[in-house]
Amino acid sequence: MKDMSDIEQTVYVVEDDEAVRDSLELLLKSAGKSVKTYETANAFLHDYSDRMAGCIVLDIRMPGMDGLELQKKLNERHSLLPIIFVTGHGDVPMAVDAMKEGAVDFIQKPYREEALLEKIEAALEQDREQRKTLGEKQEIIRRIKTLTPREREIMDRMIAGQANKVIAIELEISQRTVEIHRSRVMHKMGTHSLAHLVRMVLSVKDRIDAG
Amino acid sequence: MIESVNATVLLVDDNAQNLQVLYETLKDRGYKLLVANDGDKALTLAERHLPEVILLDIMMPGLDGYEVCRRLKSSARTADTAVIFLSALDDVDAKVKGFGLGGADYIAKPFQPQEVVARVHTHAQVILLERELQARNQKLENDQSRILNAISEGIYGLDPKGRIVFANPAAAMITGSTPNELTGRNFFELHFAAAPPVGDEDLTTASLPVQATCSQGVAEHRRNIAMLRRDGSSFLAEYRATPKLENDQLAGAVVVFRDITSELDNDRALENARETVQQQRDQLAHASRMATMGEMAAGFAHEINQPLTAITNYARVTLRMLAEDQTDQDLIRQTLGKIEAQSHRASEIIRRIRTFVKKPAAGKEVLSVRSLLEETRQFAEVDAKNNEVDIQVTVEEDVPDVLADPVQVQQVALNLIRNALESTRSLGRDLPVLVHAERQSADCVKITVTDQGEGVPEEAEDRLFLPFYTTKESGMGIGLALCRSLIQAQGGDIRFERPEGGGACFAFTLPAAPAA
Repeated sequence: MKDMSDIEQTVYVVEDDEAVRDSLELLLKSAGKSVKTYETANAFLHDYSDRMAGCIVLDIRMPGMDGLELQKKLNERHSLLPIIFVTGHGDVPMAVDAMKEGAVDFIQKPYREEALLEKIEAALEQDREQRKTLGEKQEIIRRIKTLTPREREIMDRMIAGQANKVIAIELEISQRTVEIHRSRVMHKMGTHSLAHLVRMVLSVKDRIDAG
Repeated sequence: MIESVNATVLLVDDNAQNLQVLYETLKDRGYKLLVANDGDKALTLAERHLPEVILLDIMMPGLDGYEVCRRLKSSARTADTAVIFLSALDDVDAKVKGFGLGGADYIAKPFQPQEVVARVHTHAQVILLERELQARNQKLENDQSRILNAISEGIYGLDPKGRIVFANPAAAMITGSTPNELTGRNFFELHFAAAPPVGDEDLTTASLPVQATCSQGVAEHRRNIAMLRRDGSSFLAEYRATPKLENDQLAGAVVVFRDITSELDNDRALENARETVQQQRDQLAHASRMATMGEMAAGFAHEINQPLTAITNYARVTLRMLAEDQTDQDLIRQTLGKIEAQSHRASEIIRRIRTFVKKPAAGKEVLSVRSLLEETRQFAEVDAKNNEVDIQVTVEEDVPDVLADPVQVQQVALNLIRNALESTRSLGRDLPVLVHAERQSADCVKITVTDQGEGVPEEAEDRLFLPFYTTKESGMGIGLALCRSLIQAQGGDIRFERPEGGGACFAFTLPAAPAA
């Protein structure tokens, strides 16, 4: 399986003003970024998939669906794409709302290239991190799914801190059998330390509990 | 049968039998009959009853007929009475003497009753008509002098040389004299200190007021003419001079004039007041435009930031291309072209704002309705974006250009559009605001701004355009009152129309520009 953090990142620009959109595209491309532009929030939403990697540079003021509404729609779809809001003069209250909804940053027009690129780099880094974490979690879940029901039961007890002897008594099996299961769990989960195993399983706890 | 007339007839004769016969002859014919058997009684009765006709015997003891007639004619009250002498004296001298004393007719004795009846009837009728005519003349004269006295305008009757033959009391009052002092003076000398014409010398060469009327019979009407009073001071007058014709001959002029000093003062005061109102309206309009700009400032900042952002981006791209020794000149040229276009865009927005807040108002111009509304739409678009409501402008094909002040009309249109946007948004609707222009009549264009917003309560409708009346929580109530004042200054009007499907519609008119 391909590591999700390795997917090429794209800067998605959602901006209704043609000149701003065009100039931003040129600028980001000249800075070596992969860029995709959208004239409206709807057009982006139409294109959106959870396989997108990168960040969104989003104009907060747009006719039709505005930036804040797009952010809400993306949140509903569990998007992880970091959003940099582009605001005008006097849009601070809107920007604050955006930050509360999870936007990573905002930048005021007209902006300096360095400031924008810095914020974009930070957003891409965050995206990479999120994706890496997400990739690790998905790997943990995949490994958990390879465990047999008995191995899974043993693992849960290991994580709960039960000693081999206690597990053997409660499950009415030999301590030796517990040890064999335990080494299989460690092998399948790809770790040698109990502490690491605990961390891994807890990081995906919400997901394995749910399903 | 002779038609009866309602007249009084006095019969005078010293012979009782003659009187009896005359009485019998004339009775029952509609006359009021009086009788006297001597001259003194006749005069007394005549003085008291003013008979139309007197049948007067010449040969009488005491006062004879001639003397009675002479006395009757010498009294103003009885002078008009028709005296018909009665006498057996059938000689020419007696008749001539009778007519010489003012007698109207003569009947010889012994008389024929038919002759008496016919002559009395004729003279009675003549005298009645004469008296009626006189009464009418008197009344006319009275009316005329009442009018001439009551009229506040001065009236002169002038002869062809400009001599005053008549002046009414107002003419005397205006010029500081009395009618008697004026009569006989020369109009030009008196009021314009001009030398009076000598002999038959014509006035045609001179160009004093009223001269053309006096000398050529040309009617004149002039204003702001300085006339002298008797004391030498002057006043400004307006006059009308009409030629006076007698038997188709020019006989002078009638001049009607008045002192317009206070009128001019009033005009000036009115003009000043009008100017003050105009200035205040312009100032209020300007203040209101500034306020509008203040409300729209964030929107404009955003509008200007767009091209500035694009320019910054393009400039950075160009710099990077140059720094990397990238020699794609076409791309660099293209990008620089885009920078130029964006700076034009920014200055266009600034131009629009400056035009809008410009002071004083630019004055009336011939304007294309389409471009005016389009410009206003672009202006209001700043708000349209904030309100998420569209503005649709439609202008019918046959709409002519209008003559109006572009800034003030735009201010009105913008005000109406912004109200409409706000009202639509308050209902959370996204139905567009419709701006429509059509030809209302040959010389009038009607522009409507219609929205599907909250509308106007019925009870507010009558007061919408009153100053300080508002239905908005944060409104001052200046907007619509000012709109009306501005539109009326353009020669148009503005009113509210209630659309059937709810919402509001404001319609204003502008005068079409005269065809070039």
